[in-house]
Amino acid sequence: MNIERLVTMANDIAAFFASEPDPDAAADQVANHLRKFWEPRMRAEIRGSLEQGGNGLSPLARRGVERL
Amino acid sequence: MTVTVWVSRDAGALALGADKTAQKLLAAASAAGTAIKLRRNGSRGLYWLEPLVEVECAAGRIAYGPVSDRDVPGLLEKGLLIGTAHPLRLGPIEEHPWFTSQQRLTFARVGRIDPLDLDDYLTQGGFTGLRRALDIGPAATVKEVVESGLRGRGGAAFPTGIKWQTVLKQPAGQRYIACNADEGDSGTFSDRMLMEGDPFSVIEGMIIAGAAVGATRGYIYLRVEYPHALRVMTAAIAAARKAGYLGADVCGSGLAFDIDLRLGAGAYICGEETSMLESLEGRRGEIRVRPPLPAEKGLFGAPTVVNNVVTLATVPVVLAGGAAAYREFGQAKSRGTIPLQLAGNVLRGGLIERAFGITVRELLYDYGGGSASGRPIRAVQIGGPLGAYLPESQFDTPLEYEALAAIGAMLGHGGVVAFDDTVDMLAMAKYAMEFCAIESCGKCTPCRIGSVRGAEALSNIARGIEPESNLALVEELCDTMLQASLCGLGGMAPYPVLSAMKHFKEDFGKRTNGS
Amino acid sequence: MYAIDHKDLGTPAAASGESVTLDIDGSTVTVPVGTSVMRAAALAGGQIPKLCATDSLKAFGSCRLCLVEIEGRKGFPASCTTEVAAGMKVRTQSARLQKLRRGVVELYVSDHPLDCDECPANGHCELQDAAEELGVEGSRYANGGATQRGVAQDASNPYFVFNPDLCIVCSRCVRACDEVQGTLALTIEGRGFDSRVSASQHQPFLESECVSCGACVEACPTAALTEKLPLSLGAPTEAVSTTCGYCGVGCSLKAEVKEETVVRMVPNRAGTANNGHACVKGRFAFGYATHADRVRSPMIRKRITDPWREVSWEEAFAYTAAEFKRIRKKYGPDSVGGITSSRCTNEETFLVQKLVRAALGTNNVDTCARVCHSATGYGLKHTLGESAGTQAFTSVNNADVIVLIGANPTDGHPVFASQLKRRLRQGAKLIVLDPRAIDLVRTPHIEAVAHLPLRPGTNVAVMNALSHVIVTEGLANDAYAEARCEVDTYRKWKAFVADPRNSPESTEAISGVPAALVRKAARIYAAGPNSAIYYGLGVTEHSQGTTMVMAIANIAMATGNLGREGVGVSPLRGQNNVQGSCDMGSFPHEFSGYRHVSDAATRSLFEGAWNAKLASEPGLRIPNMFEAALDGSFRGLYIQGEDFVQSDPNTNHVVAALSAMECVVVQDLFLIETARYAHVFLPGSTFLEKDGTFTNAERRISRVRKVMEPLAGLADWEITMRLAQALGYPMHYSHPSEIMDEIARLTPTFRGVNYEKLERLGSIQWPCNDAAPEGTPTMHVDSFVRGKGKFYVTEYVATSERSTSRFPLLLTTGRVLYQYNVGTQTRRTSNLAWQSEDRLEIHPDDAEDRGIANGDWVGVTSRAGDTVMRAVVSRRMTPGVVYTTFHFPESGVNLVTTENSDWATNCPEYKVTAVEVVRVGHPEAWQERIRAERSAQRSPAMPSA
Repeated sequence: MNIERLVTMANDIAAFFASEPDPDAAADQVANHLRKFWEPRMRAEIRGSLEQGGNGLSPLARRGVERL
Repeated sequence: MTVTVWVSRDAGALALGADKTAQKLLAAASAAGTAIKLRRNGSRGLYWLEPLVEVECAAGRIAYGPVSDRDVPGLLEKGLLIGTAHPLRLGPIEEHPWFTSQQRLTFARVGRIDPLDLDDYLTQGGFTGLRRALDIGPAATVKEVVESGLRGRGGAAFPTGIKWQTVLKQPAGQRYIACNADEGDSGTFSDRMLMEGDPFSVIEGMIIAGAAVGATRGYIYLRVEYPHALRVMTAAIAAARKAGYLGADVCGSGLAFDIDLRLGAGAYICGEETSMLESLEGRRGEIRVRPPLPAEKGLFGAPTVVNNVVTLATVPVVLAGGAAAYREFGQAKSRGTIPLQLAGNVLRGGLIERAFGITVRELLYDYGGGSASGRPIRAVQIGGPLGAYLPESQFDTPLEYEALAAIGAMLGHGGVVAFDDTVDMLAMAKYAMEFCAIESCGKCTPCRIGSVRGAEALSNIARGIEPESNLALVEELCDTMLQASLCGLGGMAPYPVLSAMKHFKEDFGKRTNGS
Repeated sequence: MYAIDHKDLGTPAAASGESVTLDIDGSTVTVPVGTSVMRAAALAGGQIPKLCATDSLKAFGSCRLCLVEIEGRKGFPASCTTEVAAGMKVRTQSARLQKLRRGVVELYVSDHPLDCDECPANGHCELQDAAEELGVEGSRYANGGATQRGVAQDASNPYFVFNPDLCIVCSRCVRACDEVQGTLALTIEGRGFDSRVSASQHQPFLESECVSCGACVEACPTAALTEKLPLSLGAPTEAVSTTCGYCGVGCSLKAEVKEETVVRMVPNRAGTANNGHACVKGRFAFGYATHADRVRSPMIRKRITDPWREVSWEEAFAYTAAEFKRIRKKYGPDSVGGITSSRCTNEETFLVQKLVRAALGTNNVDTCARVCHSATGYGLKHTLGESAGTQAFTSVNNADVIVLIGANPTDGHPVFASQLKRRLRQGAKLIVLDPRAIDLVRTPHIEAVAHLPLRPGTNVAVMNALSHVIVTEGLANDAYAEARCEVDTYRKWKAFVADPRNSPESTEAISGVPAALVRKAARIYAAGPNSAIYYGLGVTEHSQGTTMVMAIANIAMATGNLGREGVGVSPLRGQNNVQGSCDMGSFPHEFSGYRHVSDAATRSLFEGAWNAKLASEPGLRIPNMFEAALDGSFRGLYIQGEDFVQSDPNTNHVVAALSAMECVVVQDLFLIETARYAHVFLPGSTFLEKDGTFTNAERRISRVRKVMEPLAGLADWEITMRLAQALGYPMHYSHPSEIMDEIARLTPTFRGVNYEKLERLGSIQWPCNDAAPEGTPTMHVDSFVRGKGKFYVTEYVATSERSTSRFPLLLTTGRVLYQYNVGTQTRRTSNLAWQSEDRLEIHPDDAEDRGIANGDWVGVTSRAGDTVMRAVVSRRMTPGVVYTTFHFPESGVNLVTTENSDWATNCPEYKVTAVEVVRVGHPEAWQERIRAERSAQRSPAMPSA
């Protein structure tokens, strides 16, 4: 899968949940969204990308992906 | 000393040369080095004497007439400005026998005042009706109008107060006053004379109506054929607004009322109240089905008082003098006065305001002086182009609603048109159908198609084509139109036709081609 | 002429709940207060002659045939305009009445042709009926009288003809245009005998303001206005009730048939979604169903470069099943998937997702709603608790303030627009949020109190500013919100929107909407008392589509505008069954009734019913499928009724993905653009060829009924069933009603739905279950479906798609009245007479800067691609914004749109693409080719990646 596209999508999701003041809760919400709506392949790819440095992931997206 | 001279600005007077006379007066006086103050009034309604010139002098307000511009230099020379005797001198016009026998209530000020001079209006009793209405409040005002017995002078003769009551008791919300100034009946001119001669009385009537039923807005629907009335009414509305009679706070009462003037576009049918409302709303002038009555759902769907100009201008009279005083005039169910408009083939046409009850004959001969042609008067049509034709045998009928209804006629808006013995009553019957065909809005079938077929059948009778069967067909058609038409246009067009066929049978007999 | 099986009652039903009893011709009749005497007589089984009355129009009282006698009343009142009264005694027949009625009919026929045998209305003409009943055989009025006859016919409209000679000036057509359609295109010109029907300023119908809804044709009592098709095919003999296959309004129609051929389509006056109205598409544009381009045999090919080979159904199923099995075996179950169609029935949609989940063993199922209203589902589910609009269409009749956001109902949802216009003309206030001045902003007797011409992509900023005004000016309904919503989320939301960064003054720079206008609109919305929001794809097709849906729900909750008639949040759905396809479990993460696949209880319910092991992880969404196809992990796709290549964004990307796959199965009516990349083509069936149900935008489930046999032999549900069987999964239904029974068993919100009940009630709005056995017109009445309403903080996040010096304009997309979606159907009808190409609308200032004149060819370029189309210079546009539609493949609009999508649902950001527009000499060669091939449609011509 095109990892750049996945990173953009993860960042878009994180941007919505960024208004949550509790950083922990925000990361949970991002992770939860990914779990509910991303097919396992996509989750695996974004996790894989994170393991290789997570280039381009916003801080909140990164924290969310970390919790997958 | 500057002498005040009155020359009418009424459209009828202007048609007879009043402007030329007035200009000549100014020019000639100036040339003679005499200062005159020219004032323009409405017409007194003695049209055979127009242009009428009135001079305020020591002897009072002395009238001369008819004064053409050519008469002016001579008259001036002879001492017009001091009221000198002259063949054209009429004396004070209010002492003229044609005038003294009248009972001018609604037209009391017309011809006496400068129509746009608010002070004139006030000094002659203007706005006393309004002040009283504001004092006694809506319910009492409506009660006064009910008790006065005033009925709609536009033609339908519906009790005005009852109509107001209906509007008053509608659920709260926007209401309107609509003044019907689409005076379209042939031979009528009382609305015009009032608007040109005493516009504030119409305005005052509308304000009283507004205050009585809780309307904050009034509309005047004026026929486009009345440019002079348009100018006067427009100026009068502006003056009334400026003086605080119209606007957000009428006379400090806290009530709001204002008036919009809208012009018709030349359709007779828009004088019918529901078509008028359609036209006011910007739609095609077409009949609305009743119910709902305009008093329930009228202009823009809101409860609306629709009254004729004369009716509204009479309201201040009722309020100022009280219902009882107004009721004193007239008889039976026709209370108050009626401005009759005498026209057609008569010697002296004009406006006669009198209590209901004068006979047709009195009107034609005492006021009209018989026919202008000098021939016997054979027929009169009362109440406009849809009114019945009366033969001589019915001339003793009193001019009041029920008496006329009893002989299948109607008073309508008070127009009376006379014809001498040269009239072809078959042609008049055909004309009635043609008028209906031309003025039909086209909504309902009996009127839209029936009027055309009626005129065709009558034309065939005139040409001698199957006269018997066509006469029978016309009678049947008249029944269809009378019973089935949606409004009074198609529903009343048979009246002149049937009355002509009934009273002037001889004109419908066998004819030679082409007559 | 109204539907052949319609018994006309003359005047509309009265709304009153009270009734009165009266006497008509000696029988006692009880009817609602406000009923006309005419209707009462008809309800009692009688029939008063009439010509100007029909029960879809207000009584007019012009023909004067329906006169009656009423005891105690003068004269002969018209029964159409006379309301019943208690104790009234009416006589509808008497010698006197006969005579008057005969007199009137004789006048009509004095200027009407009497050669009825030659007339297309023969046998269905109301004048003929009246004349026969009254014994009028001709007119005694002499020949040679005035006539209005001899005026030429107007056949300019492709679907109907106007013959003035047959016109009786009853005004039914004019009133239908005013009252039913609300376009006011027709008038009576002239007066009296010269009165005649005229389209606009005495123009041919096609050139006039007429939108060809056909209401006038249906209203005509004679053959003055007649459909053309029955003129050539003959009169229909049977009427079958069904539901329109076009937009999400879901009009109830009657297909009038002659020997299995539809000759006329007439709206069902008993239809609750449309109240007897239809539009140019639903009423007239059904010719595609029998178009020569319809594919009538299955076809297969090994490679997409091979020619198609016609095969038997058996071979097609066997081949497809073998391919899917092969791919699954080689790449695993998640290498295949399926797409359900929002144009197919609920039952068919349900079967496709069942096939994917149960027979293919994967959750890789998605639907075309992905690209339109997926954000609605997510946004409303999370805030209110249900993925659907909250109201019935009729709710608008109680709305005082109507807010239209990113929707253009007069083009997209014309029949609802008519209802909307009626309400606006009664005085409801209109607020429009749209970059374009859509028709409703100013149309006869309607003017929006506020039009907020926002910059594309700034919806959320504007909505936050509206909320800011409501909260900071104390206009919110705290009592409602705190009682019915989660108080903590409400307060958090209030604090958020109250922040100065969300004030209209701050957002003005972002949205371009003057602060004062935002404040005005907010105050009007808050003042209500009944404020309703209607929205379209201008809300959802954005990178913040879901955020915007939530923001809409927020403002409605905060002002108490939910849970009763006249208020609500109503998405206007694009296609006939978008709501239904979503309800049926078409999304990869949920089963029917919006239950997540990870929910063990739900899954075990389905596993038990379907006798299959079901996956617990969400599957791929459409754009994800393309990505997976490009990296080789997704190889087989079964597509029911969707044309990705034309409708999905970034065509080059889509084409590349499809070209990389091993087995693409397209099930459709025509060889659509996507079929160019398919290996199997399964010829589908139109809505006329099958039984089933559609669910419209108001959650209304309505029956679709078969009026002709499927051209290729199988209905779509049968194709899916046979494919499942070929895959070795047993699927056996003898009728779609059995599929609905299964849906009802497995879906709580559909528990009470069955065909017998649909037959009885006409239609049902879900939820329909024990709690609401006859359905639910208004949702969230006493409490929200999710319990307490939940507010979400909706921070504005600018789209990454923004105008730059290279791409200085923003392109947004929409649709026109005469074409539908990708045009597969409407392009194959005479609707082309009005619109035969997509055009680019551009503001005069932007056009002038670029030397572009009306009608010039212009190149449109974005970072994704480019295309060429013709320009229309229009003041509807805001400077800086250009607009086009996507109905024609040769316009290639989606070559330009990008892969950007909604954060939550991946709904594409169709509404914002940064572009540059330049004047060019001519279209591209491939465009010319498609245009030329339009009627053939048989050879590949799209650019490959």
